[in-house]
Amino acid sequence: MGYALRRASLAMIVLGLAGCANRSYVVLLSNDDGTTGKVLVSGRGGATLLEKHHEGAAIGGPTGKTFIVSEDKIAKDFGAAMAARPKKPSIFLLYFETGDTRLTPESKADIPKILEEVNNRPAPDISIIGHTDTVGSDDENLALGLMRARLVAERIGTTKIGDRVSVGSHGEKNLLQPTPDNTAEPRNRRAEVTVR
Amino acid sequence: MFKVRLFFLATAFFVAGGTSFAQDAVIGYVKTVQGDAAIVVGGKAIKAEPATPVQIGNVLKTGKAGSMGVTFKDNTIMSLGPDTEITVDEYLFAPGKGDLKLSASMTKGSLNYVSGIIAKLKPEAISLKTPTGTIGVRGTHFLTKVEAEQ
Repeated sequence: MGYALRRASLAMIVLGLAGCANRSYVVLLSNDDGTTGKVLVSGRGGATLLEKHHEGAAIGGPTGKTFIVSEDKIAKDFGAAMAARPKKPSIFLLYFETGDTRLTPESKADIPKILEEVNNRPAPDISIIGHTDTVGSDDENLALGLMRARLVAERIGTTKIGDRVSVGSHGEKNLLQPTPDNTAEPRNRRAEVTVR
Repeated sequence: MFKVRLFFLATAFFVAGGTSFAQDAVIGYVKTVQGDAAIVVGGKAIKAEPATPVQIGNVLKTGKAGSMGVTFKDNTIMSLGPDTEITVDEYLFAPGKGDLKLSASMTKGSLNYVSGIIAKLKPEAISLKTPTGTIGVRGTHFLTKVEAEQ
């Protein structure tokens, strides 16, 4: 018997056994970027770690017992859930002139791209976080970050988004490019816009 | 139960601090709906539509031929197949303060889960409880099917 076939029949036996006690199970899938994370399934008896694409385990099943779940079974059990998956959020970075709420010319030109992303979604919501470099005090920068975020919110706010906007500031506490204090760094003067 | 929900709401307000409360209590929005789907708020089912807000303590619920997709503030995505029920028990997303948590309970149905920023920053802060065990996420995409307890 071929390896694949043996493996398949083993999986069926395991699935069958798991099915007797409880049909609840988990299947791990690869991420969109091709990497695969891990899932830990803990029950009364202990924990089972899933590490491979399509690897599954019964919830509350025997510890360490995993099986491979076929495409067919995934489609049957999860087709509707997978089809309902919302579009992945898009993230944009906009940059500012030093100590100011003026966008750089390049970032100004990026605004239409954000609006397009907003218009391509059925019920968009956005989050905007303003950031600064380390020139100036913590408090000033927290306020400047918030001003930057609000400015961006005004520029991309549309009736389509309505009140589904949240604005915040990390001031100089979340540097994209680590620097000492009081250092002008264009890459840190930014607003991060997430369109969901 | 009511007390517990009140506590979580209070926590969310406290963490958000300052700005508009109503907006900050929202932890995600419904993005897709097919057929019968609802957000249950304090025991009352509200018909789910794209842009319906989700808050802590809400139950995401679909009917026999329903499905629904929700995107949370940290970009976690949950999409539910038919006849599914999931309660969002706890949700904290304030990376600046290190306040990160997502815990939910799934009593039945099917779920497609795509992890977001909370899983990236603090994977141990995520748990999905089911009647027979708990699923911990280590930054990933998974599916789970839960048979209701008889």
